[in-house]
Amino acid sequence: MCPPHDNGMNRGLSRGIGAARHSLGSRFKSGSAGLFTPACSLSPRNIQHPTSNIQHPITYIRAVIGRRALSRILPLLLAASYSLSAQPSGPAASQPQPRIVLRGTANDPGTGGVLQQQQMPAQPPRDPFMSLMMSQPKIEIPAVTRATAAFDPPVVRPGEQSLLRVVFNALEQSIEWPTNFTAPHQLEMRPGAHGQLLQMTPTSMEPLTAFNCRVRATSLGSFTVPEFVVKVDGKRVTVPSARLDVVTAPPASVLPAERVTLELPVTNLFVGQPVTARILLPGSPAGMVQGLGQPQLSGQGILVDLGGVRQRFEMAPRGGAMAATFIYETTLTPVLTGKLTVFAQGFTMGSRFSGPVGVTGPATTPVNLFRYALLESEPVELDVRPLPREGQLPGFAGAIGSFSIGPPKLATNVLRVGDPLKLTVTITNRGEGPLARLVAPTPPQAQDWQVFAATDFAPTQPVAQPQPFIRFGPDGKPVLTSAAQPGGLQGIVTFHYTLIPLTETARATPPIPFSYFDPKAGAYVDLTIPSVPVTVRPGAAPGDLSSLLQAGSAGDEPEKELVLSDLTVSRGRTASSLVPPQQQSWFPLVQLAPAVAFFGLWSWDRRRRHLEAHPDIVLRRRARHALRRQRRVLHRAAQEADAPRFATAAVNAMRVACAPHYPAEPRALVGGDVLPLLPENERSGRGGEVVRRFFAVTDAARFGTTAPAITDLFALKPDLERVLQELEQKL
Amino acid sequence: MKPALLQLRTSDFGLRTSFGLRPSGFGIATSLLLLMALCASPILVSAISPEALFQSGATAYRASDYSRAAEAFRQSVVLQPASGALQDLGNAEWRCQHTGAAILAWEQARWLDPFNPSVRRNLGFARKTAQLEAPDLTWYEVVSTWLPANWWAWVAGISLWLAVGMGILPGVLRQRKATWHQAVAALGLMVFLLSLPAHLGVQTRSQIGFVLQKDTPLRLTPTLEAQAMTRLAAGEPGRWVRARGNYVLIRTSRTLGWVERDQFGMACPRAGKKAG
Repeated sequence: MCPPHDNGMNRGLSRGIGAARHSLGSRFKSGSAGLFTPACSLSPRNIQHPTSNIQHPITYIRAVIGRRALSRILPLLLAASYSLSAQPSGPAASQPQPRIVLRGTANDPGTGGVLQQQQMPAQPPRDPFMSLMMSQPKIEIPAVTRATAAFDPPVVRPGEQSLLRVVFNALEQSIEWPTNFTAPHQLEMRPGAHGQLLQMTPTSMEPLTAFNCRVRATSLGSFTVPEFVVKVDGKRVTVPSARLDVVTAPPASVLPAERVTLELPVTNLFVGQPVTARILLPGSPAGMVQGLGQPQLSGQGILVDLGGVRQRFEMAPRGGAMAATFIYETTLTPVLTGKLTVFAQGFTMGSRFSGPVGVTGPATTPVNLFRYALLESEPVELDVRPLPREGQLPGFAGAIGSFSIGPPKLATNVLRVGDPLKLTVTITNRGEGPLARLVAPTPPQAQDWQVFAATDFAPTQPVAQPQPFIRFGPDGKPVLTSAAQPGGLQGIVTFHYTLIPLTETARATPPIPFSYFDPKAGAYVDLTIPSVPVTVRPGAAPGDLSSLLQAGSAGDEPEKELVLSDLTVSRGRTASSLVPPQQQSWFPLVQLAPAVAFFGLWSWDRRRRHLEAHPDIVLRRRARHALRRQRRVLHRAAQEADAPRFATAAVNAMRVACAPHYPAEPRALVGGDVLPLLPENERSGRGGEVVRRFFAVTDAARFGTTAPAITDLFALKPDLERVLQELEQKL
Repeated sequence: MKPALLQLRTSDFGLRTSFGLRPSGFGIATSLLLLMALCASPILVSAISPEALFQSGATAYRASDYSRAAEAFRQSVVLQPASGALQDLGNAEWRCQHTGAAILAWEQARWLDPFNPSVRRNLGFARKTAQLEAPDLTWYEVVSTWLPANWWAWVAGISLWLAVGMGILPGVLRQRKATWHQAVAALGLMVFLLSLPAHLGVQTRSQIGFVLQKDTPLRLTPTLEAQAMTRLAAGEPGRWVRARGNYVLIRTSRTLGWVERDQFGMACPRAGKKAG
């Protein structure tokens, strides 16, 4: 990098600015008080194309120039523009320049204003957002991807680290960086940082991506990493070879590589414990210092608070002397336990900063003569332990550090039921760590109060006093950079609670549990917000606030922490299927069974009642059954030629068939009872004869002294069948 | 009869008839195999029993072999669904990063046993972790979750027939209707009427399913080239509306669209097929 005084244009420009500063006196104003104002060059191009993005310098000069002053600096401007037009193109020439705004005063519009009016024709006012968009330079991806590779420094001692830096003019996402590539075995290579930024070109912005590789040589010699191929957007791009010389004594002309340093106050942390991380980029011995672009902390399991970034130039010890150093300060919070590795990285950016920069002491930054180089620090190992579960106090909301609490303040001590009361409490950070992400304690459930959570979270974070920092040097060993003892004010947070008394019996505000974890003591510390005495008077509109209280208490039950359950030891409740029974085909049939049963029962009952009302039906049915039985006996006797049995069965059959008609006991019936039931013609005919014959035979057999002749009875069987059929039909 | 037997050519089946039935070589082998199968059948049955598979899955789970554990639990559940096995299946699927399958298994476990607090906690844990929402249930569906889904049908049937029986049986049995007869009948009728909404809830809940795969496209039409309206996260609930081919029309809490059948698991599997 060339110093700015080597450039003739810058020299003339510095003179011009110096003259303008001298002539303007108090009318020359910097961008903002306290901010660093770099040396700058004036360029008509920059007047026409002001840009602003994260790579663009936000510090610029606003000069309020009158007619007389402008008449003095106008020749200088013209000379500067002439020198710019004669300047050869190069990396330094392509850098964006600070913006110059020429304005007139309220009474004197000034030449600048006149010039602007003359040059700008009357145009309708443009949308400011559209103007902002149109003012941004476009991003151009070069059609031809170029790659460079070089060691930084190119000459090292054995065991000393050098960075192999490969730079592409392409987007990082489009580069398929190989995980390993061929290198001499004497070189121990480990992957390092990688990043991307957009560098300014005369007309647009161009991506620049750098990949670092940490290299250590174990022996003397000259080693060359051969060229290798990397795919960029699917195209093969050849990375040129790079040579590293390892010598016992590097020549004095070889400057040591620029390095950033990561400083952490402590590396033994608890998970969630915030610490202040500082990235230091020391300046050159000549006092030239530049800023870091896209500084970041890389590593797994860490959370970086970008909201609390502070960057400044400060005199810091370097090599036994004080040197201007760019310091980027942020808050790092480990979110995982175990051994975590973190390192810092960033691009050298000259005088371009991504935010306000404080300046303490003299510092000079290069404006044009710098190169974008990705620097990185040595990795730092963090030992992160989990917070102990034992001893945890109520009201712990993740606060880790050392805090003190101020006396709670009430808006008033006398109020009515239902009136809101504002409680203000101040938490002061007395620890070494920053005050990051301090969560207000959860409001408690009180009997007489309704407490609303702190809604107005207004943390203040004063700049910390110098503290001892452990710096990890190139050899990896920690070095204490400052002997100042920690302490003092690190930050203040004010919590506001709104309390509403529910009854006039409330005599004091409820205590609000709050606790924090002290990493030094390794224990939880109670910091409960104490209660404050108040006088509560009856409210103007009395109401039953207990219901409100109950509703609130029911809804604000502490939610149990949800965790995955363990394995069950039994199969639990089983089922034949996941399909519910009502969707299975057998279920309607099962439900039909009781329906059928109940219907049968009902039908049976109805029939039973019917038969009870009509007993003749039963008699006839029984008579039919008895008649069929006697006829079977009759047939059997006929087959066996058993005449007495045949006659008895015939008489019994006629009796049971006639009994329901009288009704009478079948055994009490005689032949005269049977004959009336026969048709008229049968009574005196063959049927009546058969009846009389069978009854006579059976009577003679039962009551006579001599056995009747019964052998001819079988011949009467067809007539008997006909009589029985007649009788059966009447049943 | 004998010629008829000969016409059957029993030798073709490995047996040949000479003097009665004399086994051939193939017949001997077949018989031996059958005999061995009969002897080994109790062992085989015990080896593939749901309980054995469950224990196998538990062993694999304790050995952190979650994929094998999930497979064993799944087979156990296929043989006989059980709430504990489904819960463990969900745990194993969750360990395998299968959020959709895990939530489906836990929902099925809850379907069988809503009294299991572990399943409820697991579902809450998974949904909180994966930023998923629970199915939006109607009031009668909420009522149906008070008891296992399989119980409501029996509750409705038993209470109905109990009420009917209490109305009919005293008369049939020639008994005077006592007060308790009428009370039981009224109780049965009341339970039956109260179970009807739950019954309906079970019916509609059986149409709820869950997205199984991550970033499942919700298509505008049931075609492969259909426009994807949105992508559903694994475990997101939906209601089966109808099916067409290999696609299922589901209604999520926000929209309606088609997903592939394999990407949507039903808490009540056969109900889904039936609906399709």
